[in-house]
Amino acid sequence: MSLFRALIRKEFLLLSRDPHGLLLLFVMPAVFVLIMTFALQNQYAMNHETRLDFFLVNQDGGQFSAAFARELGAVSPFNRVTADAPETELRQRARADEVMFLVVIRPDFEQNLVARARAVKLLVAPGTSPVFAGIAEARVTELLNRFYLQYRMASLPGISAGALDTSTPLVDSESLFDDSGVLPSSVQHNVPAWLLFAMFFIAVPLSTTLIHERQQGTLMRLQTMGVSRARVLAGKVVPYLLVNLMQVVLLFLIGLYLVPLLGGDQLTLGSHPAGLVLVSVAASLAAVCYALFIAQITSTVEQATIVAAVFNIIMAAIGGVMVPRFLMPEAMRQLGDFSPMAWGLEGFFDILLRHGTVVDVLPETGGLLGFAALMLALTFVFSRRSASA
Amino acid sequence: MVIIDTLSYQYSPRSAPVLDGISLTVADGALFGLLGPNGAGKTTLLSLLTGLLPCPPGRILLNGQDVASRRPATGLALVPQEYAFYLPLTVGENLTFFAGVQGLPESQIAERVDHCARRAGIQDRLQERAGRLSGGLKRRLNLAIGLLPSPRLLLLDEPTVGIDPHSRHFILETIRDLNREGTTVIYTSHYMEEVEDLCDRVAIMDHGRLLREGPLADLLVEGEGSLETLFLNLTHRQLRD
Repeated sequence: MSLFRALIRKEFLLLSRDPHGLLLLFVMPAVFVLIMTFALQNQYAMNHETRLDFFLVNQDGGQFSAAFARELGAVSPFNRVTADAPETELRQRARADEVMFLVVIRPDFEQNLVARARAVKLLVAPGTSPVFAGIAEARVTELLNRFYLQYRMASLPGISAGALDTSTPLVDSESLFDDSGVLPSSVQHNVPAWLLFAMFFIAVPLSTTLIHERQQGTLMRLQTMGVSRARVLAGKVVPYLLVNLMQVVLLFLIGLYLVPLLGGDQLTLGSHPAGLVLVSVAASLAAVCYALFIAQITSTVEQATIVAAVFNIIMAAIGGVMVPRFLMPEAMRQLGDFSPMAWGLEGFFDILLRHGTVVDVLPETGGLLGFAALMLALTFVFSRRSASA
Repeated sequence: MVIIDTLSYQYSPRSAPVLDGISLTVADGALFGLLGPNGAGKTTLLSLLTGLLPCPPGRILLNGQDVASRRPATGLALVPQEYAFYLPLTVGENLTFFAGVQGLPESQIAERVDHCARRAGIQDRLQERAGRLSGGLKRRLNLAIGLLPSPRLLLLDEPTVGIDPHSRHFILETIRDLNREGTTVIYTSHYMEEVEDLCDRVAIMDHGRLLREGPLADLLVEGEGSLETLFLNLTHRQLRD
């Protein structure tokens, strides 16, 4: 029997005998996905700091539309991001979630408004919550109706506002998520978010087994048998990588089949599954190496559990797992750039929300692999230090 | 044969030596008792012998081979004081795993596992989870794992701590049988009567120094018939913990 085969088989046996570990790795994320998908389906709350950043393209060029554009920029919580670029470029940038919306004022704005035709097109960025899309559409419609009423009442003195039609829609909303223009649902956010959260939680069972091996003298015994510490660590990478990939499959299956079965929206996988595989493997390596590092710097199971849980929750909180990053103030969003979970999430969003390709996920994948390499290097540094102590 | 020649060791240049000029020889086929109070340096000595700690060159020769040049040392097995196996795994799974990591061919593993389990009297417990075994059975599993590589030198670190008399008797008999079959045994224990009963040569060490080493009979004479008396006289009777 090869050394690695024996080590890998042992890890699987240990994990299969650990009901708490299995609960943490598989049941917890499955329950989170279901609860959060349904709970947040229409509940992303606005707060007073929320800003709805948008680009604006005015195809009309008249004074009336210019006045509308000015007013829109001043309406809370809209925030016009000025950009001197053609519409096609702004569309691309919005598709990359640089802003939450692209507002297009159509030509003949005044005539369209009077005729109660669609005077404005609202293009929603893929990462924007459906609730924010709804809020934006309502606020734009409200402003358009105000302009319409002012115009009509000025041109038809004596007419009352109640006599005018304000129900015909004036805004066309489309998503930049895909060519169909359909908005992505909360399942697109929640599946990758809670998947990453669960993947990093392998730090608990992995560090527990490693600490037990250290405390019970098993590691020492293995060393006397010629199994180096490096080989023991390497023997843990493969099984836990597979466990992470099983988590990926489980949660994607839940998004694809169970959520729609329970009345929610179905997860859409995008058109480049290879990108999903790449992000999953990179995130898994990051999680496994992070777990090895936690096991190395702690000396008891209690310490490892607490340290892993605290760091996971911090990484998840700033990384947009618990609270979507677009709801966060700018400073918090910048802080989130340091979380590997945010990199993984952006990688998944590139494929699931933005229809990106393998090339698009390379920066996030590189970040995750760099993090994995750093954790592994630190693990060996601390390992050598403790061995010589 | 194990030859230890003026071996000194300290964990760091600033710390006090844990071993200070130890010299002793353990002949092939010996059943050698290594005694010492806590902190005497027994565990460090075993760690150096097994290659867990880096040994200074030329200080320990194992069957003519310098331990410093080959880590871990081959042909020996350590049975640690701890239950150094996986409690969630069954007895059979533990034995299979430890046989596997030592590179035994797949075809020989089952046979070797069965042989060592019989040797330790746990052949009927292969399906039981190790964590649910009694203290005595755990000790026997610990021993069985140590027998898997068919070691020529067996290092036993307090293998009978905290177990019932029957298991203790069984383990001591097994060690005696192994020794009769040619296995050299280095045995550490705090139970003096076990060492008196089992070993033919004994070394007593304290504070990293070898205080006495010789045939059991000679040491018994010096201790007026009691190894414990000699041990307490040499180590000055004060409490160590």
